Amino acid sequence: MSGAASPAPALAVEEVTAGIGPLTILDGLSLELGAGEVVVVLGANGAGKTTLLRTIAGLLAPRRGHIRLFGEPIEGRPAHQITRAGIGHVPSGRELFPRLTVADHLELGGRLSPSARRAELRRRMLAMFPVLGARLGQRAGTLSGGEQQMLAIARALMTDPRVLLLDEPSTGLAPKIVLSVFRTFPVLREQGVSILLAEQSLALGLSAADRAYVVDQGRIVLSGAARALASDHRVVDTYLGR
Amino acid sequence: MRGILAGLVLLGIFIAIPLRSTGYLLQLGTDTLAAVAIAYGWNLIGGFAGYFSFGQVSFYGLGAYATALLVLRAHLPWYFAAPAGGLVGGCAALLLGPIMLRLRGILFALGMLGLARILAVVFNQWRYAGGSVGLSLPAVLTPVSVYIGMGLLALVAFCITAYFVHSGFGLDVMSVNEDEDAAVSVGVPTTRVKVIAFVLSGFLPAIAGGLTAWNHSYIDPTSAFDPSIDLMTVVYVMFGGIGTLWGPFIGAVVLMIAGEEFLVYFPNLELALYGIVVIATVLAFPGGLVGLANRFGWLMRPIILAPRRLPAGSAPERAEPAGTLPVLEVRDLTVRFGGLTAVDRVSLSVARGETVCIIGANGAGKTTLFNAITGVIPASSGEILYHGAPVSHLPTFRRAQRGMARSFQIPRLMRSFTVWENVVLASRHGRQSHRVVEHAAWVLHTMGLAGMWRDPVSRLTPGFQRQLEFARVLALHPELVLLDEVMAGMTRAEQEDVRRVIRRLPEFGIAGVALVEHVIAAVADLCDRMVVLDFGRKIAEGPPAAVLADPAVVRAYLGEPL
Amino acid sequence: MLALQILINGLLLGGLYILIAQSLNLIFGVMGVVNLAHGAFIVVAGLFTYWFAGRTGINPLALLPFVFVVMALVGAVLQPLLVEPLMKFGRSKAELLSLMVTFGLDYVLVELALQLWGSSFVSLPYLQSSWTLGGLAFSQALVVSGGFAAAVSALLYWWLNRTDSGKCLLAASQSETGAICCGIDVRRVRMLAFALGVALAASAGVLVIIVEALAPQTADDLTLLAFVIIALGGLGSYAGVAVAALLLGIAQSLTGYFVGGNAEYVLPYVLLILVMVVRPGRFRPV
Repeated sequence: MSGAASPAPALAVEEVTAGIGPLTILDGLSLELGAGEVVVVLGANGAGKTTLLRTIAGLLAPRRGHIRLFGEPIEGRPAHQITRAGIGHVPSGRELFPRLTVADHLELGGRLSPSARRAELRRRMLAMFPVLGARLGQRAGTLSGGEQQMLAIARALMTDPRVLLLDEPSTGLAPKIVLSVFRTFPVLREQGVSILLAEQSLALGLSAADRAYVVDQGRIVLSGAARALASDHRVVDTYLGR
Repeated sequence: MRGILAGLVLLGIFIAIPLRSTGYLLQLGTDTLAAVAIAYGWNLIGGFAGYFSFGQVSFYGLGAYATALLVLRAHLPWYFAAPAGGLVGGCAALLLGPIMLRLRGILFALGMLGLARILAVVFNQWRYAGGSVGLSLPAVLTPVSVYIGMGLLALVAFCITAYFVHSGFGLDVMSVNEDEDAAVSVGVPTTRVKVIAFVLSGFLPAIAGGLTAWNHSYIDPTSAFDPSIDLMTVVYVMFGGIGTLWGPFIGAVVLMIAGEEFLVYFPNLELALYGIVVIATVLAFPGGLVGLANRFGWLMRPIILAPRRLPAGSAPERAEPAGTLPVLEVRDLTVRFGGLTAVDRVSLSVARGETVCIIGANGAGKTTLFNAITGVIPASSGEILYHGAPVSHLPTFRRAQRGMARSFQIPRLMRSFTVWENVVLASRHGRQSHRVVEHAAWVLHTMGLAGMWRDPVSRLTPGFQRQLEFARVLALHPELVLLDEVMAGMTRAEQEDVRRVIRRLPEFGIAGVALVEHVIAAVADLCDRMVVLDFGRKIAEGPPAAVLADPAVVRAYLGEPL
Repeated sequence: MLALQILINGLLLGGLYILIAQSLNLIFGVMGVVNLAHGAFIVVAGLFTYWFAGRTGINPLALLPFVFVVMALVGAVLQPLLVEPLMKFGRSKAELLSLMVTFGLDYVLVELALQLWGSSFVSLPYLQSSWTLGGLAFSQALVVSGGFAAAVSALLYWWLNRTDSGKCLLAASQSETGAICCGIDVRRVRMLAFALGVALAASAGVLVIIVEALAPQTADDLTLLAFVIIALGGLGSYAGVAVAALLLGIAQSLTGYFVGGNAEYVLPYVLLILVMVVRPGRFRPV
């Protein structure tokens, strides 16, 4: 193969094996997130979606394999440095600071950026999630589920990431709210953020993404364009074990 | 053999000391034996049960004062007064135990610390007990008698510890330290076990206190509730080896003697040195000297209740099926946490001979349901009937003893125990508790674990650990088995092994099985009925094929499209 | 009149207590470490102040910044050596093991203090007189000391809630994962929390020695006092702890007057045991 080298994908997960204690949860898993793409990782619970995102974010060190952010290997680095390198993470369970205010969250998320950039990011967040603007002084613990999810995403976006990891954002949320969250994706794409989304809900996941991977017991079993997979019965089969 | 030799050597030293001198060396010997006894006492609750106490001196002081008052006011001879003082210490622990032991970790440690301070202040004020001036006791006629008394106490302490290390009761205590929740699920009556250990841990220092008071012919609050006794005790046990048979003895003897030497060169810095020893031990070798010895295979803890060779064991007698009532019946069960309803009026039943599979998307409430059925969390409303009898009022360990067994999502084995001990812990408390060893052996053979019965759990592969989790469930000889995501993290081959076991469960006398599972493919053909939960509610029930084709179920899993 | 006097004395005492408690709360809230050497730091700083001010005649309050900085450095060195290695064992094991380690540290410090300053109770005779205002007498020492303590506590509050580093600390204590997601180096936060906790405890020592007599053997009482206040006020709740400290100050003042003897010293312990028995949930993070 000659010619110019193709640009490195935003995120490349190569043959990653990871687990907790005696359990192996990811088993030689590989996937790619192209720059500017929205990719969804689907799978039943226990399949390894959350573990995958946590491993990419550095909360769990992989036993084998590599993870590259725009070509640069990041596996094994301390998690807070991976955030600084440009990976924003919205963990399952959101992990907000219950006694800090909405404004505090935005400020903490933006602490890595110079003040001008921070102000710009903040402006964008408030434009994207106006409901947060109305509750800047409110403590995160008192927000509703949907507002908390938005805040968690806003906080992650304040870190000015190039890649955003979203772990099951639809959990416990009414479809209307999930809709408003997913509507922000095109805006983010325009701003140069690539998104890797983990979702249990097939329909939701496929409707929001360009491409999809289906994970089963720590490995990728299916992949392809979201639209194509939406009508592929094998996806449903994987979920229901048929 | 080696043990008897060691015992004779120690006996020899014990006898030699008073023969060589009746002064300094005898006093050192007496003090060392006291330290040994107190250290063993601390080890029972702190080492074996894992409840660190920084206030055992409370019992020491109580025993000292009780003995002194009995000698002075009731004119009892010391060899009655001292054990009576011990009983006072034990009773105090009995009263405090159920309250204090409900607290975990740091709270218990601090509570005991606070107790010691309170007692010091109280006795300072209490004129009947001499107030801050203290009490003077009739002089000791023969220091050797105290020495012998203390020696007997140390021996008793050693024997109690030896019992812990060789008995099923000791195994129960150690399981509390390993994983209290898992212990409860295997039928261990953890509260009772903890309290007994605590009572013994109060009894020993109390007698030591009484004998010491008598030895010094004097007692006052400062010396009776001297907090440095707590420090020394902790140091001795940590340094020697926490939670071991020989650790407290070795630690106390070595450090007492070393301390005496050190005192000559650096008087007044003794306690600082001990502080450093604690820090260094915790950071560098938390297992103490015995822990180091263990690395070379010395002073290993014997495997509890293990026969010399693993017998073939025999299957439990087949009980006559008792009636036609369903094994488990859950009626309108609701579980609420704060504002969230995790389980919403769910009803299901497991008939005799049935295997029921419970599936549902994340957050559907499946594990919460299991936790409510086993009693780990209280149900907000609804009934749980086991063989038609309500069990909601029973604590988890009772339900386990009656035959309601569960496995955990992530295997919660006792990691510092051997394979044998994990199984025997369950068979002791289950429905085959009259044939503990036989049944445990049979279970190990059946699960293919016989070849590694003496291995520590940490050496098992995940597949075998899962098998061991099953073995532990079987060892209870349950009638109802609740399996929580047993297929998680298993390779295809391992799943096949698990499937084989599940198919054989009826052979083991198990009348009903309920499975929570995500890997539906692996269990769909094993179950008679499938129940689907979604957001805490049951949305479908029936034969697997019908349920999996039900559009409502498909929708719940796949979610609504945008 | 008398009631008011007792009340005000109690409040001033409470001011001191806020500082004593908050410094422990900081460490406990972020790491779950109960620093059993807390009281020892207070006592060592207090006795040092007594000794140094006694020798040089310097105003003890002038020593405050010096003690703060030196002890902060001490804490910054001790934390990675003694406490951080335990964090890898998981929160509950780390809690117990750090109890052991700080227990040892407590004894090292207390022995050091005994060696350097002996075991007698000493206090600094700075500001011996009282101000009278409308029939009430205010001990100058108590006013100054309580006032300063309140000021330092307020400064701490300001730092925690209004500065970036302070908010990082609050964030890390409320959700470690969330803090990591903001790029916060949680390890460094833990070191900062410990250093700050020790420095504040030492500052409390400088202020206590002006008002009350200290001796090395009172170290554990001070640690328990701090812990009781945190228990009563609610772990992690700054305002709650402040209120609890003030109330305890008043309660002790009342007990000391009406019951006398040593009752006021027993009060914290009795409360501790009561709280533990009746409301063990107090100790889980809010």
